[in-house]
Amino acid sequence: MNTPPEMRDLARLLLANEASAGTTTEPVESVALRVYEKLRQSLTAIAGAAAFESIAFRALMQAQSEAPRLWAVQITKDGTLQGFDEFEPQIDNDIDIASEEGAILIARLLNLLYIFLGQALTLSLLRTAWPDEAFDDRNSIHGRKRE
Amino acid sequence: MSNQAKVIINKLPTGVPGLDEIVGGGIPEFSFNIIAGAPGSGKTTLAHQFVFANATPKRPALYFTVLGESAIKMLRYQQQYTFFDPSKLPDSIRFINLSQVVLEKDLSAVLEQITREVAKANPAVVVVDSFRTMVRKPQSDMDLQSFIQRLALFLASCQATTFLIGEYDEEELRDNPVFTVADGLFWLRQTVERNSIVRKLQIIKLRGQSSVPGLHTFRITDAGVQAFSRTFGLTARKSNPPRVRRLSFGVPELDKMLDGGVREGDSVLVAGSSGTGKSVLATQFIAEGIRHGEPGIVAVFEERPEAYAERANSLGLDLETPQKEGKLTILYLRPLDLSVDETMQSILDAVQKIGAKRLVIDSLAGFEMALSPGFRADFRESLYRMIFALTGIGVTILSTVEVDESFTEFPFSTYSISFLCDDIIRLRYVSIDGQLRKIAVVIKMRGGNHAKDIREYEITSKGVVILGKRMTEYQALISGIPVSTNQPDPKEEPSPRPGIKRTT
Repeated sequence: MNTPPEMRDLARLLLANEASAGTTTEPVESVALRVYEKLRQSLTAIAGAAAFESIAFRALMQAQSEAPRLWAVQITKDGTLQGFDEFEPQIDNDIDIASEEGAILIARLLNLLYIFLGQALTLSLLRTAWPDEAFDDRNSIHGRKRE
Repeated sequence: MSNQAKVIINKLPTGVPGLDEIVGGGIPEFSFNIIAGAPGSGKTTLAHQFVFANATPKRPALYFTVLGESAIKMLRYQQQYTFFDPSKLPDSIRFINLSQVVLEKDLSAVLEQITREVAKANPAVVVVDSFRTMVRKPQSDMDLQSFIQRLALFLASCQATTFLIGEYDEEELRDNPVFTVADGLFWLRQTVERNSIVRKLQIIKLRGQSSVPGLHTFRITDAGVQAFSRTFGLTARKSNPPRVRRLSFGVPELDKMLDGGVREGDSVLVAGSSGTGKSVLATQFIAEGIRHGEPGIVAVFEERPEAYAERANSLGLDLETPQKEGKLTILYLRPLDLSVDETMQSILDAVQKIGAKRLVIDSLAGFEMALSPGFRADFRESLYRMIFALTGIGVTILSTVEVDESFTEFPFSTYSISFLCDDIIRLRYVSIDGQLRKIAVVIKMRGGNHAKDIREYEITSKGVVILGKRMTEYQALISGIPVSTNQPDPKEEPSPRPGIKRTT
């Protein structure tokens, strides 16, 4: 089963926002890692590292079926991602693939949060991680900057 | 005596319906409390309700989760309750997980982490759930005692009201230093009684204010915990002054037997065997009240409200219109695991909603059957509390009770509750002239005169109708097998109509 489109949209939104906050020369993997790390810190704070690690492990397993290169990635005990930034893009196309792989993993993670915590609490987590973003409660894909 | 003002302790709402009454108005601000009980007893839900009722963005609540229940699962399930408002997260309510610190470090590190978070957030409420799992690691009692004391001191000085949640057995209540430090100790119990689950709450300790003693039943519904005070929340209300107003039954001759009617605020028992017209009389009582502008409540246990209203209609008593107009509520209370307190709460809510002056409980036997088996043993005591509470606010109660007909006894109730009733009206069958007729007698009327007459009555299309005058032609009427004091004419046929045939 593929990631629900709205989750992928939300993941892309987070990645885009994070990319715009970083430097233009930053590798795409770093952007995905930063989004992942913010989610990790946000969820670990309320649920603990073990809870995040188990959810992240499940998300990675699901993402691997869509993005085979993610088989090289591992989740450590504290939930951090290992091996994701070690992909070596050889050609421009690899950059797009890496970007998509990041989106898939983040989308899977968000989808699990939706399943376990529901929309309201997931958005609450996102607001904690990205306090300057206003997430739309209706479909959560139309993020916009707070006034 | 010093004229200087004493400190005023604010009381915070518990967020739990009924619990504010039990704890004496609310939880004392800045108090250090423990919620204890077995797993599944509702501790976390209770704490959540308090948190959601009190947390604000300016003074948020910090909810520390430790080991025990997974925080994700806790949030997943807790958000199903109606009180759980996700919009309060994270500005007003912040969940912080301490499991890593607990697993990897010691209690000092835990205290340090809590201190840091509290200093940062300036919370009004702090919850540690489950604090017990934190101290299950090998520690000496002194370590634990020291930890609790330092935590209590720190949180009190931070002007935070605190709840520690812990799984405890009843046996641990004694000699546990943790409980000594606490300002409030809330104990939740869940027991199985035959096929029913009974949940009870006890305020073992609450410094600074008087709580209602004893075990209070509570229920966990979609709205969370709902508590039912043993005093039905009526402790703080002033009892109505004794009234002299008489309430009519709508049966003129019966009113005369009662010296003008039932005294307002009395508890009346109508006792009789099946078919003697107890419910009919009760219906007339409630309908007469409505006619006089006195809203009423009928609590039925043996038939549905529609059937009750339909039967009243056959007596020419319209109960449909007053229901639509909000002057009458017919409560159907049938679940078999109710506590008296829950039943009472339903009745009280209805009484307060429409400002009821008359209440009919039809019948006590049905009431008892609707209760959880565990509560049936306390039925008499519960009735006492119920009647005391309701008559205290000026409601006049009429209860019906079925008694076994006996020709050697004249019982008033199978529950030995006649002492709880101000007035008793006894209905019974008598065998006269080859007919099974009915007689009514006022047995007791506390604080007032009443007729000593034994009167025959009929149940007609207009309800209970008292016939003729007192029955002087028979002796031993209350035995059910009276003896005529006159010599009947052997040639005369017995009257086909169920009236008294006077023989001359």
